[in-house]
Amino acid sequence: MHVGGEVDVRSAYCAASVASLTNVLTPALFSGTAEWIARCQNWEGGIGGVPGMEAHGGYTFCGMAALVILQQEHLLNLRSLLHWVTGRQMRFEGGFQGRCNKLVDGCYSFWQAGLLPLLHRALHARGDTALSMAHWMFDQLALQEYILLCCQCPAGGLLDKPGKSRDFYHTCYCLSGLAIAQHFGSGDLHNEVVLGIPENCLQPTHPVYNIAPEKVARAVMHFLQYPVPSPDPA
Amino acid sequence: DEIGLIPCPEARYNRSPIVLVENKLGVESWCVKFLLPYVHNKLLLYRQRKQWLNKDELIDITCTLLLLNPDFTTAWNVRKELILSGTLNPLKDLHLGKLALTKFPKSPETWIHRRWVLQQLIQENSLPSLATKGNLGAAPMERIHRLVQEEMNVCSEAAGRYPSNYNAWSHRIWVLQHLAKLTVKVLLDELSSTKYWVSMHVSDHSGFHYRQFLLNSLIGRTVTDSNVLVNEQNPNFQKEEESAGTEAACAEEQSVDIPRRLEEEMELCTELIDNYPGHETLWCHSDETLNNSHHSPATSRMAQAMDVDGLNESSSKQGYTQETKRLKRAPMQDSLGPEMEYQFIDKVLSTCRDVDQARFATAYRKWLVTFLGQ
Repeated sequence: MHVGGEVDVRSAYCAASVASLTNVLTPALFSGTAEWIARCQNWEGGIGGVPGMEAHGGYTFCGMAALVILQQEHLLNLRSLLHWVTGRQMRFEGGFQGRCNKLVDGCYSFWQAGLLPLLHRALHARGDTALSMAHWMFDQLALQEYILLCCQCPAGGLLDKPGKSRDFYHTCYCLSGLAIAQHFGSGDLHNEVVLGIPENCLQPTHPVYNIAPEKVARAVMHFLQYPVPSPDPA
Repeated sequence: DEIGLIPCPEARYNRSPIVLVENKLGVESWCVKFLLPYVHNKLLLYRQRKQWLNKDELIDITCTLLLLNPDFTTAWNVRKELILSGTLNPLKDLHLGKLALTKFPKSPETWIHRRWVLQQLIQENSLPSLATKGNLGAAPMERIHRLVQEEMNVCSEAAGRYPSNYNAWSHRIWVLQHLAKLTVKVLLDELSSTKYWVSMHVSDHSGFHYRQFLLNSLIGRTVTDSNVLVNEQNPNFQKEEESAGTEAACAEEQSVDIPRRLEEEMELCTELIDNYPGHETLWCHSDETLNNSHHSPATSRMAQAMDVDGLNESSSKQGYTQETKRLKRAPMQDSLGPEMEYQFIDKVLSTCRDVDQARFATAYRKWLVTFLGQ
């Protein structure tokens, strides 16, 4: 994550995310990375921080999103990943847990639910004919209920679960998860599923970068104007 | 051997806020709001080169800071510099970390720093020119062994202080991979020493995942190309670490009775599922153990040629992950017949009153039918 710091799947995602948006992504920069990430997937189907570790929502998102950026999602066992992540939505609360047998947490609304658009896209690219053309493979309304009814702080901001205090991290990821739950697909296939009044509808977010899709497009276009820098110092 | 904060919002008496009882250090909470900004500020001024601090002061200040807030990376990094310059004994940081973890058992920065310190210690240890006099007279292997045992203790304590402590269990795995080199002995020792713990923490998914890791590693060790697997499990280590690992792998002549181990694991699962209804972790663990037992190395090599999974799963996965072994037409092992499992499920369904337990049992049966083709 930084010089002398820890090594885990998050840094691969951060690097891939930044490099792809700023047009500095070269095969050399990420050589071996995709294979390493694939080794982080374990018997549970999810992805851990490093090879051997327990499957965890945050790391799974980072791993999957990084592989999407590197166009190597096929290195994963997508079916077991799908099985794992769908098992993480809590049948009573509607929100997601980060790992098996743990409690629900608002932030996983993004880390876990955000995997489903990525999986949908990857399976679609493989020619899977069973995919819905209108919904992600999780209960979008139930997640929205959890976020809107349980994760809001009366003074503003969002949180992990009732009883916890608000913070920027949870505010960010609860809202991001809400956006994922409300918007399926894009362009011609866009389908909105909004719980409650229409004003509840948020702007859609890009499932890989979690910023507005227009911003992704603009960033990419802007940096494409510049050549990929060489690693040798001038 | 333990630190803690004593809730005490006001200073009633004019006395020190430090309380030391039976080797446990307590700090009255009122003083934190004065102490923490003070030491924090001092360290920052040092870092900004606005105010000099000598090494003893640095050691004291960072120690205080980290006991109040161990996720302060900068403080750990100052200590890294002190260690690298030879003015601070790395073992002190292991002790400091251990103390910090008694109050902050998850603290990511503490675990990360701990791994850095251990890496320093191993590098020191493996230098052939290093005389034993610097190592408390103990032989390098003995020293490593002691370090490993201590790490197992620290992890165990931290795991007990916070449920499903991902960081503690991850660290435990890391220590086995990088310090203990995943020898059969240590894997078996760990299986037996964690058995009681997981029985007392039946929802602790991380604890059971650890046992899966141990079992998977044991299975990996008994495959003929175990040398290769051992080396590939240490992605962050090169050079002398690899050769040490290979030696250890060659030395492992004893064969492990894998089917017996898996059978024991199933017995443990069954007992716990019976006694503690409704814990998803136990069922997951049971699933996976049974899956392993039906795809032992001997059968999986043969069966890999028969892999007809239509979704074109990647075949480049390590022996670790069980997906290459999830076959639809695998030969069955006699010792763990699925009939036993069906009987078990039926018994659970007919006697349990817990809704979740019934659901898990039903899902398990469905899984048995789908994946084992029975």
